[in-house]
Amino acid sequence: MKVVVPVKRTPDTAGEKVIDADSLTVDREAGESVLCPVNEFSIEEAVRLKEKHGAEVTVLVVGPEEAQPTVRKALSYGLDAGLQITDEAIAGSDALGTARVIAAALEATEFDLVVFGGQSTDARTSLVPAAVAELLGLPSLTYTRYLEVDGETITVHREHEEGWDVVTASLPAVVSVVEAINEPRYPSFKGIMAAKSKPLETKSLADLGVSADEVGAGAASATMYEFAPRPPKEAGTVIEDDGSGAAAAQLADWLVEKKFV
Amino acid sequence: MSAHAAAPPTVSYVLTDEQRQLQEMVRDLFAQRAAPDRVREVMLAETPGYDDALWQELANYGLLGLTIPEAHGGSGASFAELAIVLEEAGRRLAPVPLLSSAVLGTEAVLGGATEAQAAALLPGVAAGTTRLALAHLDLGGDLLAAPGVVASRDGATWHLDGTAAYVIDGASATHLVVAARAGDDLELFVVPGDAPGVSRTPVEVLDLTRPLATVEFAGVEVAEEDRLAGGPAMAALHRALTAGVVAIAVEQVGGTAHTLEACTAYARDRIQFGRAIGSFQAVKHRLAELLVELESARSAAIHAARVLAAGEREELAIAAPLAKSYCSEVYERSAADGIQLFGGIGFTWEHDQHLYLKRAKSTKLLLGDPKHHRALLGELLAL
Repeated sequence: MKVVVPVKRTPDTAGEKVIDADSLTVDREAGESVLCPVNEFSIEEAVRLKEKHGAEVTVLVVGPEEAQPTVRKALSYGLDAGLQITDEAIAGSDALGTARVIAAALEATEFDLVVFGGQSTDARTSLVPAAVAELLGLPSLTYTRYLEVDGETITVHREHEEGWDVVTASLPAVVSVVEAINEPRYPSFKGIMAAKSKPLETKSLADLGVSADEVGAGAASATMYEFAPRPPKEAGTVIEDDGSGAAAAQLADWLVEKKFV
Repeated sequence: MSAHAAAPPTVSYVLTDEQRQLQEMVRDLFAQRAAPDRVREVMLAETPGYDDALWQELANYGLLGLTIPEAHGGSGASFAELAIVLEEAGRRLAPVPLLSSAVLGTEAVLGGATEAQAAALLPGVAAGTTRLALAHLDLGGDLLAAPGVVASRDGATWHLDGTAAYVIDGASATHLVVAARAGDDLELFVVPGDAPGVSRTPVEVLDLTRPLATVEFAGVEVAEEDRLAGGPAMAALHRALTAGVVAIAVEQVGGTAHTLEACTAYARDRIQFGRAIGSFQAVKHRLAELLVELESARSAAIHAARVLAAGEREELAIAAPLAKSYCSEVYERSAADGIQLFGGIGFTWEHDQHLYLKRAKSTKLLLGDPKHHRALLGELLAL
């Protein structure tokens, strides 16, 4: 079976994110970029499919040339090949624009299963996996906390507030996983050394037959006009106890006023 | 001026992309698996004296055979990569027998074994199932003295008698690489840890994260094919000890780096007299000096590791004792300063700083103290 793992290059989770005042997008030069931590879970799941079913796994990245280390990092976990979609016109794409690019890339690829991370650590929309499935007309299995492939079908446990549903779909399908699905391993030394020699293909929008009008900041369904840093936290109300017992009444009034009691 | 001073630098100190990824990976791995609670749990348990789960994980990631050729089940990398792992292990005081098995034992075998012997032993070492320990000291622990074990030959069988002291991880190792006197010669033998006639007694140690043992040999029978016969045993032993010296220096850099990071974080955090203690000159100057010393120590240790990896024996003869003498002193000073910088909490058993001080004290003496290494340097440089 063939599996594609789309991964994202995101600003370092631990670092401070800076918005560029001119482009009104996250300034990716301001800090280090890393393989999005949620992808460690989708990659681990793909590695397990490789071990169990001999799956051939391709990692897919949409991003500028500088995203190549992200592909290599993903390959160091033992994946087989890389596919990078690079085109200046993609910059500033929203979730739907990104999904269009990924869907077009997948249409040009042979696959049985696409394994997404659940929610990137920067944008946190969770929209791309479902949008890709919709664009491709494939079953969408989100919030996956367990998955099993048997021949032409996939069964997942789909997590929700009260537990999980058992959902079955036919392949090909698109899944996105939650962090509870597995405990990701580290890349092995051999994996790190082998990553450089794995095949890596780069494609542009023209290669995929996607028009530049459908993607990028111009095609985004929402437009950002301005931004402001979060206002500093205001000091809370201080009630001082002067020993007269008035403080207790003040506190009770305050709780009532705020509708805590 | 001696010849080495004019030699152009032939090794790089910059990490390759792969080496940086390895560093990132092992740093995170040890942070997760060798957290302080786990280190204490392992060090206070009587057996097995090391963290077997972590050891197996290191094996699975291909980190135990970094210097072992691929033909013998290893990764065919170099000591430069192993040094990265050792530094990160030192940062966390990871209770695993890297120094004894992956460095001392492996280097002795690589230096002394025939191809057939290496093929029989090293795949197990890389897989983590064979753990080697080097038994080469006499009871006095003097590096320059002859080993405390005597070998006598009887046809195709050797008999080992005597005592080897301060054997690192000697009680838990599956196999002992034993240096023994055979007449005027030195020989190295590979002996299963549970061979009849071998008795191993754990020694009471200051640094509980690195167990030592006294190993007694009473008429232990060793077949001739278990005598390392691929080259002069003295050269193999020397190779192992030199690698051990460099490994300790690198590990000391890791421990010093941890100490500095922990102290700096604390100095930012801890408020006294209404301000962070790091704003007091007495504290911040000490930290600044520590940083300068750490960087010097790191340069010395990495230089030694890189010339070892590159096989530059002449430069290594100088780089190894230089690194060991300097890094030992920097680690000891930083670990002791750390106790002070942490104030009251630094004096408690619950705080981890004393573990670093004990590791600093023990590694300062391990495989030769700074005085010993300075004397070597003095001789080599004709000072």
